[in-house]
Amino acid sequence: MQIITKILSILAIVLVVGIVLALSGCVTGSQVAGNTSSNSTVQSNENDTLRVGEMWDITTLDPAAGGGTTIGEKADITETLVGANPDFSLKPELATSWYQVDNLTWVFNLRNDVYFQDGTKMTADDVKWSLDRVISLDPVVTNLVNLDNITVINDTAIMIKTKSENLMLPAVLNYPDTGIIAKSSLDANGNFSKPVGTGAYKFESFGQTTHVLTVVKNDLWWNGTPGLDTLVLTPITDPNTRAMAIESGEIDFTCDVPYNEVPGIAQMPGYTVEKYNKARMYMLVLNLNESSLGDLKVRQAISDAIDRQAIAQNVLYGMGSPAAGPFMSTMAWTNTSLTPYTINLTDANALLDEDGWVNGTDGIREKNGQKLSFTLLTFPNRPGLPPMAEAIAAELKDIGVSVQVQVETSGAISAQVSTGVWDMELTTYATAMVPDPGYILKELYTTNGTYNSGKYSNPQLDALIANASDTKDLNERYQLYEEAQSIVYEQQPIILVDYYGSDIVMKNYVKGFVNDPTSHDYNINPEIYIQN
Amino acid sequence: MYMYIMKRLGFMILAIFVVSAMAFFLMNMVPGSTPVMILKYTVLGLENSATPNQIAQISSRYNLNDPLYVQYITWLKNALLHGNIGTSYIYNEPVSYLIALRLPATILLAVTSMSIAILIGIPLGIYAALKENRISDTILRFVTLFGVSMPSFWVALILLLIFAVDLKLVPVVGYGQVDNIILPSITLAIPYMAIIIRVTRTSMLETLGNEYIRFSIAKGLSKYRIIFVHALKNAMLPIITVLGFQTGNLLGGAMIVETIFDWPGIGNLLVNSIDSHDIPVVQGCILVIAIMFLTVNFIVDILYTYIDPRIRYGG
Repeated sequence: MQIITKILSILAIVLVVGIVLALSGCVTGSQVAGNTSSNSTVQSNENDTLRVGEMWDITTLDPAAGGGTTIGEKADITETLVGANPDFSLKPELATSWYQVDNLTWVFNLRNDVYFQDGTKMTADDVKWSLDRVISLDPVVTNLVNLDNITVINDTAIMIKTKSENLMLPAVLNYPDTGIIAKSSLDANGNFSKPVGTGAYKFESFGQTTHVLTVVKNDLWWNGTPGLDTLVLTPITDPNTRAMAIESGEIDFTCDVPYNEVPGIAQMPGYTVEKYNKARMYMLVLNLNESSLGDLKVRQAISDAIDRQAIAQNVLYGMGSPAAGPFMSTMAWTNTSLTPYTINLTDANALLDEDGWVNGTDGIREKNGQKLSFTLLTFPNRPGLPPMAEAIAAELKDIGVSVQVQVETSGAISAQVSTGVWDMELTTYATAMVPDPGYILKELYTTNGTYNSGKYSNPQLDALIANASDTKDLNERYQLYEEAQSIVYEQQPIILVDYYGSDIVMKNYVKGFVNDPTSHDYNINPEIYIQN
Repeated sequence: MYMYIMKRLGFMILAIFVVSAMAFFLMNMVPGSTPVMILKYTVLGLENSATPNQIAQISSRYNLNDPLYVQYITWLKNALLHGNIGTSYIYNEPVSYLIALRLPATILLAVTSMSIAILIGIPLGIYAALKENRISDTILRFVTLFGVSMPSFWVALILLLIFAVDLKLVPVVGYGQVDNIILPSITLAIPYMAIIIRVTRTSMLETLGNEYIRFSIAKGLSKYRIIFVHALKNAMLPIITVLGFQTGNLLGGAMIVETIFDWPGIGNLLVNSIDSHDIPVVQGCILVIAIMFLTVNFIVDILYTYIDPRIRYGG
């Protein structure tokens, strides 16, 4: 009998749990979030510790292995020679000035008041060592610099010689992986052990299993007093979990909670939510060898049928805005005369009619037996992409273009694209991997550009971009690049949809955050502090 | 019996070799070239394309241009002669080190989930069998159907929402405290519990229908004795088979639960490594998972002989 009673009570518990689960399924996320508001304001931060919910797993702290963004922008352990203003123009950081000696040679003058976090003074030797290391080990930096050699002129100056003229070199030295580290970052066997940099916070610990990175205030910092005592970065890769972690008060700052949760969190007392556009855009890459897409009228029609504003509002929940040219209007070199295309179904239909595409009986246009029908590839790692692909497919149906959306892994997509048998890909691109317009314009739009998977070839544009990259005067260079932007805006070999936006969520007691548009995901600026 | 064990061990070792070879060759067939994926997951970013120079740089660093069988034989030699199962392309750490870091987390989660599933599942399964076709049995059958059908990421998120965010009984993230394992293990346990309830119920019903049970009742034995001493022991065979498979499954890591709770286990290490073409890590994980799975099932097979003396393995 006792056993039966015991079993009955277990059963009762299971039933209750089951019913609770069933009921809670009917409660929306924002409703539950609203109920937590009264608890959340009680959570305060005793020490000056900022707990950040980081969106990517931290797999390495070695800048030469790709850890530069984490240790440079997010943990403030390292700094680069060159800094960038909010409009992406360059400014001094660890280097005070730089100039070209001849076509292949640059001189960088360095600050003489900078100390590494191990107490040693930063000299030109250290900078040479650090740059030599990252240029040889990091394939992206190898490619961007094209190094011949680096020589030390004196304690505070280095000379960098490249194999071919590289007017972009100062911008490349803003790239986070080129952050300057000390030789003490390596262990006795020459393997990378921990990052020792010059930044506002210094390395304290890294959980080998949990990947939690802890840094503490660097009293030797040359550029002021850091606002925090401790900064902890905890990787939380699932965006829903990130949202819950900040709602429960376990973290104070995070980036990219699910877009649809942003309005709910913004309404909770005790939270600050900010939305920013990043130097990245959503774009519809087209295979121009696919006969109909090689046709300018077809591309223009497709572009006219896309409602960029509605996508930004409804698919991205406001995390983004309609794109005009490849660059955000706030960048120093943007051709601001270009305005975002607005939806124009009349024009779109007219263009296709003009081009001889007749409406078929199934609602899909056709010409000479060929249907205006495409496969659209995209991948799920960026949450906005799959729903945007579906939205575009639906919008194109309105003008008689049939689009089949296929969501695959990015590896599968790049494999397929390399075979040449594909129609369209919806993806995102960083438009300022280094703060210079030349890089993305060259790689996306020139005939041999690395990212030019659509194989767009415009010799006039090639010449323009080549000319621009050799033009020493900054303003002249920017003029030429603005011309290039006009051409790609009009030709639309790649249809630019929206600029990429993201959300920053933080507790109200986190003060002093300044958004850095040049950052990869977000930048923890050293002025951030906790208001007790 | 001794011969049987030796034969089984021999088979296991052969199976492990075959599995490691299959893992290697299958990974090389997955779409996306390995040097490109390594670049994308370390320095390049997912969306950017790699230049031929960059591909050459990475390929020569890791000997990726060698013919596949050469690469595999090199790996095999290192593994057998030096105990070195490779270095991760993404983490730049030895694979054995990475697995040693994450295996305890997976084992802990597996053992906890399995314990919950067994401690609740078997008694409930017995109860359902005893109350066959009565209301409690029907409710249990419905609940188990629910338990198996609910997707684990949904259960995980709902549990987090209620117990971590709303009631603040446990933290949302973290690893190392008792608090942190409660929700992940309950989430994982639910579908397994449901299966155990069903299998126990079916097996008990079948056993209870046997003649010797009728005989025991006629003999006047107590209900307790009949159920637990006679019936359950005979019903255990199918239950243990299922438990063996489920434990093997759990030891393979529960990727979805591990991702949502940021539980540092083998599951999401394996899946992330497959995505990024970190082939040494994939081989290492598959090797370890295969060994654990085969070992668990081997133990189960030996356990059979103790539970049911009629089972004996011939030479």
